[in-house]
Amino acid sequence: MADRRRINGPVGTTVAPIFEDDVAQESKEAPKSTRSRAPNAIRKMYLKTGVTPSASGSAYLEIETSAKGPVSGLKLTCTVHGPRSLPKSTPFSPHMILSAHVKYAPFATQQRRGYIRDQTERDLGTQLETALRGAIIADRWPKSGVDIIISIIEGDQDRATSKSQGDETWDMMNALSGCVTVASAALADAGIDCVDTVAAGVAALVQDGSADSSPTIVVDPIPSEHEKVLGACCIAYLPTRDEITNLWFKGNLPASEMDLYNQLVDRGIEASRSANQVLVECLGETIGGAASGQVS
Amino acid sequence: MATAAPAAPPALGFARPTFAKLSPHPYLLTNLTPQSPSDTPCRTNGRAPHEARPMHIHTSSLSHAHGSALVRTGDTTVVCGVRAEVLPVSSIPQFRPRTHLSAHNASETEGRGELKDYDLLVPNIELATGCAPQFLPGVPPTTLAQTVSTRIYSLLHSCRVVDPADLRIWCDPSPSGAAAGERDEKMDTDDNEDQREQEGEEENQPQLMAYWVLYIDLLFVSFDGNPFDAAWAAVLAALRDTKLPQARWDPDREMAICSSRAKTTPLRVSGLPVACTAAVFLKKEHAETATSTTGENNRHWILLDPDRLEESLCGETVTMAVDCSGEGGEVRIKSIEKLGGTVVGRELMRGLAGVAEKRWREVRDALGVNV
Repeated sequence: MADRRRINGPVGTTVAPIFEDDVAQESKEAPKSTRSRAPNAIRKMYLKTGVTPSASGSAYLEIETSAKGPVSGLKLTCTVHGPRSLPKSTPFSPHMILSAHVKYAPFATQQRRGYIRDQTERDLGTQLETALRGAIIADRWPKSGVDIIISIIEGDQDRATSKSQGDETWDMMNALSGCVTVASAALADAGIDCVDTVAAGVAALVQDGSADSSPTIVVDPIPSEHEKVLGACCIAYLPTRDEITNLWFKGNLPASEMDLYNQLVDRGIEASRSANQVLVECLGETIGGAASGQVS
Repeated sequence: MATAAPAAPPALGFARPTFAKLSPHPYLLTNLTPQSPSDTPCRTNGRAPHEARPMHIHTSSLSHAHGSALVRTGDTTVVCGVRAEVLPVSSIPQFRPRTHLSAHNASETEGRGELKDYDLLVPNIELATGCAPQFLPGVPPTTLAQTVSTRIYSLLHSCRVVDPADLRIWCDPSPSGAAAGERDEKMDTDDNEDQREQEGEEENQPQLMAYWVLYIDLLFVSFDGNPFDAAWAAVLAALRDTKLPQARWDPDREMAICSSRAKTTPLRVSGLPVACTAAVFLKKEHAETATSTTGENNRHWILLDPDRLEESLCGETVTMAVDCSGEGGEVRIKSIEKLGGTVVGRELMRGLAGVAEKRWREVRDALGVNV
């Protein structure tokens, strides 16, 4: 039964356009774009708070696209509503109840997304909530709730590769790291007390050459720039406390090499530190702007 | 702003936002009533009653959409992405086949039927993005979201902004294509009888095999009143920005193939209808008519481009869509929608058309169009 509260369009199923040159590219293995950044450098990002004035706090994050090809960057908006009282029916809670909601816009990814949240979006929401819960001082607001809503206007996804490689998880990790950073900025904008600003980063073990070449670790990976991604981890990290609030690891690595795991986590922390610098700078600008506004 | 400061706050010691929250109606009323005859009435947001917020439009910022636009008027920000997908005619129930010739000779009304019958334009509004405190996700689309979607849908169809000819995908009539079609036909033992007859009759004529469906998705980033005007401007800007891939029907694979990502044709958008919304604010709260029961005149103000506070206080709104892009720059009213109240009559409606024309010029400049 179609949702009658939305305009559903034609009854028959529609398909996304299929391009001749894509088919040709897949067969002859067109040269891929290569990574031009240093292995420990994250992409440039733009962070701004206060995009939605009616919300308690809001932020916008944009991560630049890689130089070549029709690869989109990441564009996120985040709004924070609350803290506000919970409905009467909710049982007593001694601390603040967080609810994180992540939604891709229908035009954000290669495949058109529906308006109902799917499994990956729910998963992102849960992970985001975990990452933020470690940073918020929730005891200060008993019996209250905060809604964190993230709209992914443009997902960090290559048009061609995600389909051919078949692993959207790497894109999801990049999206999650962006979500954590932008939500942290919005929480700070809303004036909700946190022990520290939490930011997230991604590190990945990639193979650039043929199958027998030795893999390297890079931060902030773009899957299309590498031959193969062997494993990756997304880490939400509190720099001043030196604490990890959320860790998501995925890949196919031998269990015997503990070093590899440790290195990946270290590089993930490095990436989140870089993201945190941007975050702190942005919040500094917000406060500085407000202060100078009061003076003038 | 300073001239519009309400009389009460200094004594009460409330900040303006607090006063607005506590008693919104008197707050707006005090602002609109000039303290001295020399003062012009000014709204709470500092605008004159007939002053709209400036519109900023930015297009082509999304890479996955075929056309996109970001529209900002004051604190209302909306992102629109247009995405084209292929709908094969075989999956349209009650499809009426048409030949290349008949399609070209078809009258305008027939083409419009095509757009509507096969539902080729799919506009949807998403308000549940936390764009304002009352719009939180996790709930079905609100009445407002449904209303705005439907209004956009009907205005898209009634203004005939998109030409259905641009959305048709034809089967290549070249000899190789025809031969392939024939071969298919012989092997085909399905019950596709009409289709086969059609193919037999017009062997050498291009066949209409598929349509582009335009999914027009709108996402509110920030909401501060007047969603329809902003959404409509975003739809129009995104459609003007839309570039469709060049597609042809491949009879062998039985699907539409686009030649190259680089080769695109811009979608033709006819006309430039611009929506202009105004709300009527009454001096007496909860009064419904211009004249109250006691016979005294209930004063009213027409507020153009209302914001969130004003929208919550006004019961009567008028939306007029005008297009001055025709010959001689004549104002053509494309649609009038009036909800609630009885204040706006013939005279006011005429005045509003003039205001809408001014707004049309502003939006045209924001779109960067030379008409």
